[in-house]
Amino acid sequence: MATNVTAPIPGKILAVKVEPGKQVKKGDLLITLEAMKMENYIEAPVDGVVKDVKVKPGDTVKAGDILVIIE
Amino acid sequence: MTKIQEDIEKLKKLRAEVRLGGGKDKIELQHSKGKLTARERIELLFDKNTFKEIYTFARHQCRDFGMDKYRPYGDAVITGFGEINGRICYAYATDFTVMGGSYGKTTAEKICDVYRRAREVGVPVIALIDSVGARIQEGGEKVPQIFYENTLCSGVIPQITAIMGPCAGVSVYSPAITDFVIMVDKTATMHITGPRVIEVATGEKVSEQELGGADVHSRISGVADFVVKNDKECIELIRKLLSYLPSNWKEKPPRVETDDDPMRMDEKLNSIVPDDPKKPFDMYEIINRVVDKGSFLEVKKNFAPNIITGFARLNGETVGIVANQPKWLAGCLDINASEKAARFVRFCDCFNIPIITFSNSPGYLPGVDQEHQGIIRRGAKLLFAYSEATVPKITVLVRASYGGAAAAMANKWLGTDIVLAWPSAEMTVMGAKEAVSVLYYKEIQKIEDPNEKRKFIEEKAREFEEKFSNPYHLAERMAIDEIIIPSETRPWLIHCLKMLRNKDVKHPKGKHRNIPL
Repeated sequence: MATNVTAPIPGKILAVKVEPGKQVKKGDLLITLEAMKMENYIEAPVDGVVKDVKVKPGDTVKAGDILVIIE
Repeated sequence: MTKIQEDIEKLKKLRAEVRLGGGKDKIELQHSKGKLTARERIELLFDKNTFKEIYTFARHQCRDFGMDKYRPYGDAVITGFGEINGRICYAYATDFTVMGGSYGKTTAEKICDVYRRAREVGVPVIALIDSVGARIQEGGEKVPQIFYENTLCSGVIPQITAIMGPCAGVSVYSPAITDFVIMVDKTATMHITGPRVIEVATGEKVSEQELGGADVHSRISGVADFVVKNDKECIELIRKLLSYLPSNWKEKPPRVETDDDPMRMDEKLNSIVPDDPKKPFDMYEIINRVVDKGSFLEVKKNFAPNIITGFARLNGETVGIVANQPKWLAGCLDINASEKAARFVRFCDCFNIPIITFSNSPGYLPGVDQEHQGIIRRGAKLLFAYSEATVPKITVLVRASYGGAAAAMANKWLGTDIVLAWPSAEMTVMGAKEAVSVLYYKEIQKIEDPNEKRKFIEEKAREFEEKFSNPYHLAERMAIDEIIIPSETRPWLIHCLKMLRNKDVKHPKGKHRNIPL
């Protein structure tokens, strides 16, 4: 089953820490998102393998946009 | 055997019969689902041998649908009072082994009586729910009166409801009115219309747990305040939660002896807030280092984690903690966070529990979604709740407090008794760059070279920060009471609470205030 990791808040992508195919554990850092003048750390909500990364550093995202898909 | 002896034997036999509820098979079935029976739950809840059951022999009077052939004693609910850690409480437990724990007229009458009696004597009510809902054969008669009794008890005595199985249909509104809802993971469900009705009405397919399980209600809907693993943990939590609360609105919460030194200064507090204002930190660490060791009991942990609410103790006295969590949504206030904190603040105010706020928020969450869903009226609840509260209120300014969040949580002007600022504290209408873009809008528009423009903005932002990114400009105007070293927070709070112990502030009288619901 695929899990979509979405942006909880609108902001700018600062860093992407994973690439497709990477094994991740629940709680691993996926993305750093700058929003409301703060760095927000987006962590893996489940164990799995990264299927797709939808953003790159510098992108602006809206709340609810899909950032990473984990399978 | 004399007549009286015979009568005593008869009563003993009936008691033994009642103890078996719906019978051995039903009890086995209950256990096979990982659940305890209503009677086992009641026995675990109260101190040994203190529970006194009342209305044990009440029965339904229904004659329709063949109901006259099955009239079990107690009518599917156990009611009574007893002692929890030596303090009197009322409780009721619906018995799933008897007619699915359904609510008939007699069941409802027993429950209403529990709430009325408890209210009159000023003791908490614990509800242990495991029930299919209103009994169809009796047409739900009297059931709504439970909500009426709940409402009259609200703010008078603490009401705690544990959902330990199904809780369906209109009966979900009793838990919703009470102060705290605890759900047992995997066995508890709450919904107004069940999966079958939803499928018939809309074609949507959903499982009981996906619709209204503990996970859903603790994380998404915010109905549940606590999730526990099993029945035993549930009962332990109820006993623990009660230890923080007074028995009624006229009392102060009980003091608990502590061996944690009130003068303890935790040096680690001086290094939790990172120098870089963009880096988040973990607010839990601050809370846990300030309050009595191990005393923090979080409420609504999984719902709106951008704000933390819970009970703790300072030198043995109960306090309510409200704190922004910069690790989640940057600690923004959104609709869910505002409503969560507002309800918690109001509970504390009802029951004489001082409120300690750790303020650290960049503001209300911006966005069309939030505005359209009513962040104005729903966010207003938090300001309302703080303003309305007359219990001792102390705020610690940790780092950033901007805009609406500063207005809601960080200032003296909502009747806060003491505002203490850490040296890292800042409080402004907005962040430096945003402020500069408004203050110097015309000047910025005139600069054509993008490099020059950026330099201008950065320079003005630095000026703005120098002016506002510290607590001294606040101290100068008496907008805060004192600037303290973070390690001094615990002794400061304890001394302030002692000073505020007999605080007596009364708001103008009225029937009741009209919180923007």
